[in-house]
Amino acid sequence: MIVAEQKSLEEIKSLVGNAEKVLVVGCGTCVTVCFAGGAREAAIVSASLRMSSKLDGNPKEVTDVTVQRQCEWEYLDEIAAQVEAVDVVLSLGCGIGVQAIAEHFPNTWVVPGLNTTFLGLPTEQGTWVERCAACGDCLLGLTGGICPIARCSKSLLNGPCGGSIDGHCEIDDEIPCGWQLIYDRLNSKGKLDMLMDIQPPKNWSTSRDGGPRKIVREDLRLNEKEESGS
Amino acid sequence: MTEEKLQIVAYCCEYCAYAAADLAGGLRMQYPPEIRIVMLPCTGKMDILLALQALEEGADGVMVAG
Repeated sequence: MIVAEQKSLEEIKSLVGNAEKVLVVGCGTCVTVCFAGGAREAAIVSASLRMSSKLDGNPKEVTDVTVQRQCEWEYLDEIAAQVEAVDVVLSLGCGIGVQAIAEHFPNTWVVPGLNTTFLGLPTEQGTWVERCAACGDCLLGLTGGICPIARCSKSLLNGPCGGSIDGHCEIDDEIPCGWQLIYDRLNSKGKLDMLMDIQPPKNWSTSRDGGPRKIVREDLRLNEKEESGS
Repeated sequence: MTEEKLQIVAYCCEYCAYAAADLAGGLRMQYPPEIRIVMLPCTGKMDILLALQALEEGADGVMVAG
């Protein structure tokens, strides 16, 4: 899932600025399950902004609504009337949701209520960890299902480095060494020989180095007739 | 704000705190009129939104008893 964290109320207030009517938009997918921007959080932020602005002597009209996914036009269509009726939209979606709202409602000023943090999973209640860097060229088949890009601090393809100390990373002894994890995993599967293959430098053009990425699936695109609905 | 005008919303569990308040009433015991009791089926039902709603509606404090 996309994991995010809520911004502080102070930062949210400064982003909302002098707007009198605010719509807090939650998202029902990733940020709901990481407890950052779902319906409940949208209601809490909404109430907090109302009370805080009242205490500041400039009460704002703050309402909230949550869509199933902020990152698809169809779900945003459902809130068009509410969006158009306010001065600012505070999106509690990830960065994609914020941009989708800005793109879908060009006349609306939208600000983020979250910091989108990483792609990861909850390892225990209340703890989320990064697992994928979305590099665009998955290497997990070489490493026993443990990502050296996301879980090695240096994103090494041939590790571990000299900074691996007792199974932990030199940058923080709370962080497991990604390559130690890979070694242990391959060892447990009797596949240590896989480490004898030296990996060449990675082609980063599939990652951010190649600029904004795009996928076009011709098999899924509508043809002209379908697009026009005839 | 004077102390006399404080309003405290008390969210009470039906099976213990609310029953205790009920019993106290039966025994003609007094508690401050500033406390408004809201019965919950269980304080596990308590949610930050309930507390925020009470505060937003003008309560000065929220008590959870269960």
